[in-house]
Amino acid sequence: MSADYSHLCSAILEQCFGQVVQSVADCLFLANTRTLGQLVSATKLSRKEVGLALAVLVKFRLVDFEASKLNPSLAEYALRREDIISLLRYPRYVHLVQTKYGNVGASIAEELINSGSDTATGILIKCLAEGENKAESPESYRNTFLTMITDHYIIKRPELLVSDDQDEVVPKFESNECDFFRHPNIDLQLLAKIRKGDATLAEAKDSTMVWNLNYDRFHQDFRDAIMVDAIERKMGENAAECFRFILKIMYNTTDPWQRKLSNQITFVEIKQAIEKRSNNLDLMKYLDQYISLLTDDSMGFFRRVGDMGGGLYVVDMEHAFESLAFACVESVITERFGSKAARIFRVIRCKKYIEQEDLQKEAMIPSKEAKSLAYNLFQEQFIHVKIIKKPGGGSNGPAKAFYLFQVKEKDTVRMLLDASYKSLYNTIERSNFEKNEHKGLIEKSQRLDSIVETMKERGDSEEYIAEIVETFTPPEVEILNKVKNRIKTLSKAELTLDDTIFLLQMYQHHCTSLPTGIRRFK
Amino acid sequence: MAGRGRGGKTGTLTAEQMALLGCTKDMPVQTAPPPTFPPVLNRPTTLETTATQNYQLLWKEDFLNRMRDSPYYIVSATQEPQNKEHRDWREKAMDRFKLKAQPEFNYKAMPRELNTLNRKRKGADVKPKLLAKKTNIEDRLKVLEQKELKAGSGEQDEIKQESDSDQEEEQDDPEAALDDEMDEENDYGNSYFDNGESYNDEDDNLDDGPVY
Repeated sequence: MSADYSHLCSAILEQCFGQVVQSVADCLFLANTRTLGQLVSATKLSRKEVGLALAVLVKFRLVDFEASKLNPSLAEYALRREDIISLLRYPRYVHLVQTKYGNVGASIAEELINSGSDTATGILIKCLAEGENKAESPESYRNTFLTMITDHYIIKRPELLVSDDQDEVVPKFESNECDFFRHPNIDLQLLAKIRKGDATLAEAKDSTMVWNLNYDRFHQDFRDAIMVDAIERKMGENAAECFRFILKIMYNTTDPWQRKLSNQITFVEIKQAIEKRSNNLDLMKYLDQYISLLTDDSMGFFRRVGDMGGGLYVVDMEHAFESLAFACVESVITERFGSKAARIFRVIRCKKYIEQEDLQKEAMIPSKEAKSLAYNLFQEQFIHVKIIKKPGGGSNGPAKAFYLFQVKEKDTVRMLLDASYKSLYNTIERSNFEKNEHKGLIEKSQRLDSIVETMKERGDSEEYIAEIVETFTPPEVEILNKVKNRIKTLSKAELTLDDTIFLLQMYQHHCTSLPTGIRRFK
Repeated sequence: MAGRGRGGKTGTLTAEQMALLGCTKDMPVQTAPPPTFPPVLNRPTTLETTATQNYQLLWKEDFLNRMRDSPYYIVSATQEPQNKEHRDWREKAMDRFKLKAQPEFNYKAMPRELNTLNRKRKGADVKPKLLAKKTNIEDRLKVLEQKELKAGSGEQDEIKQESDSDQEEEQDDPEAALDDEMDEENDYGNSYFDNGESYNDEDDNLDDGPVY
C-alpha cells in the first residue's frame, strides 16, 4: 500500500463519513491492528467519538475486529484497506444492478449501500417505505432480493455465534461457505404487519441473517466487460458474443478469481452452449472461424492447448490483462510525450534489452530526439536502465559498462497505479476546494430553486417567479455555471480514473502474485 | 571568523569555476515560486459524457448528500462550534428543523466497548440503595398508619416513644439514618442547597477586606 493510496482512502472516507471517521481510519491505516485505547490516544479524540467511528466502519464492513491473542477480552481492529476504494464505485454497482434487475433491484442495492449491512426484512421495509416504486408489490421486491442472492450480488455476513457466556466482550462469528447464498425466510405477512406497526423487526425469522453487497461479484462483471468490449472493438459483435459464452462456460468449472489460466474448455461445450442459448445465426454458422480468430489474435485472450473434443482451449487471464494494461500504459505515454515516445516504449518492450544507439535505429527516430524522449521516459519511470559491467583488461584498466534500456513491467504498472491514485486524490481535493470556495453561491442557487419550485406548486404567476429568479444576478449565474461545469468535469475525471485504476488492479491480480485483497468469498 | 583561515581563501567560487559549472552571468534570478502545477505540454483530451456516466454522476452527488445528512457522518464536537460561529441565521434556523435520524447499530455483533450509549456506571451500584429507600418508606407508612389508628389518647407519649425508637434506629444503623435524611424529598443534600438568602451576607463580609 502506497502513501498515495493512503491519502486517497483518507479523502474518500472524509467525503462519506466525516472527519472523525477519517482520522480513526488514518490511524488504522498505519498499523495492522489497533485497540480502542490506542486509537483514542493516537487520534486525541474522545473515547465516545472513536467508538462511534469504529461502529460506523464495522457497519459498513470497512473494519474487521477480533479478540487479541494476548488478552481475549480486548478487541483489535484492522482496516480493510482494499475495500475503501469500493465506496467510489457505488454508482457503478447501482447502475449495473439497474440494468440487470430494473428499478426494484437498484432500490434494493441503494438501501444496502445506505445502511451498510442489514437483514433482508429490514432492507425490504426501507425500500417499500421509500415510495419511489410504490406500484411494485412487496412480492416483487422479495423475488428480486432472492434472485440477487442467487446471482451472488448479495452475500450473507458471517453469522454471530451465540455463546452461553453473557459477559463475552468480543463477539465471535461463524463463517460457512455453503451459507453465503442460502435464501432467507422472508415472511410477507409479517412484513405487512411491521409496516402497519403491529409487529417489530425483531420478530422476523431472518433477524440473525445480515446481508451485504458482494463487491467481488460486481468486479467480476466489470472485468468481463473490459475483455468483451476489447474484443468487440477489435473483432466485432459476433466475436464478442462468442467470448461472452466462453466466459460463462469457464465459470462452471473455474474459480472466477483464479489468477493465471482458466480450466480447459472443449469446442463441443462452446458449440452446444451457443446453439442452446443464442439466436445469432452468423455466429452458429461460422463458430469455428470465430474461435480461430480469437485464438490467433495477438491480445491472447483465448488459447488452444490440445485437440481433444474438437479442440481444448483455455482463457489466458494473465496474457489478456498484460495486453490490456500495456495498451493503457502506451496510451498514457502517447498523451504525455507523443506518439514517437510510445514507439520507443514499444521497441524497448519488444526487444527486452536495448542500447541507446540501437534504439534510435530500431525506432527510426533521429538520434537527438530519440535520446531526449528515452531520457524523459526514464525520468518518469516508464522505462528502466540495466547496467552490465565488463571488467577491463588487467587490474588497473577501467571497467567497461553497457547501459541497456528495459521495461520492468510490474514496476511500470505499479508506478502508473500510484500516479492514478494521486490524480484521483487531487481531483477529489480540487472538487472539494471548488465547492468550498463557492459555497455561498451554490447554496443560494439551491435555496432559490426550492423557492421557485414551491411557488410553482402554489400556482404563483410567471411574472412574480421571474422577479424572484432575477435576484440571481447575471454575473453570479455566469460564475455558478463555470463552477458547475468544473465540478462536473472533475467528477467525470474521477469515473474515468477509476476505470484505469480498476484495469491496473486486475493486471496486478492476474499477472503478479501480489496480495490484492480479492478472494472468492469474503 | 569564517573565511579567514590559512591562505585567506574566501570560500566563494571564481568566475572561471562558475563558467566551468555551466553558470553564466546572464542566468535569470528566480524571484517567484515555481507554478503549483507544471505546464501541460499537450492539451488533455476532452472526456465524453455518456448516458451511463450521467446516471452515475447524478447518483453519486445524491449519495454524497444523503451520507452528509445521515447519522453516520460524524463531526467532532470540537469542530462543530467553530463552524457554527460563522453560520448565518438561515442556516441556524434550518438546523433546528433538521433532525438527524438515530444511527442503527447492531451492538450485539460488535465488541462491547463500542456500545457507548448503554454503558453501566462504574463503581457503587445505585439500584440496591434505591430499593432500600423504598422499603424504608413503606415501613414508615405502616408505622404512621398504626399511629393514626391509635390516635387520641397518649398521643404525646407515642411521639416520644417514636422519637426514641428512631434514635435507637439511628444509633443501630447510621447509614440508614443518612438515607432517611436524604429520602425526605429527593437525592440532593439540603446542606448543599443555596437559596440565595446569604448572598448579601457575603457582600457584608467583603467590606472587612479581602482574605488572603
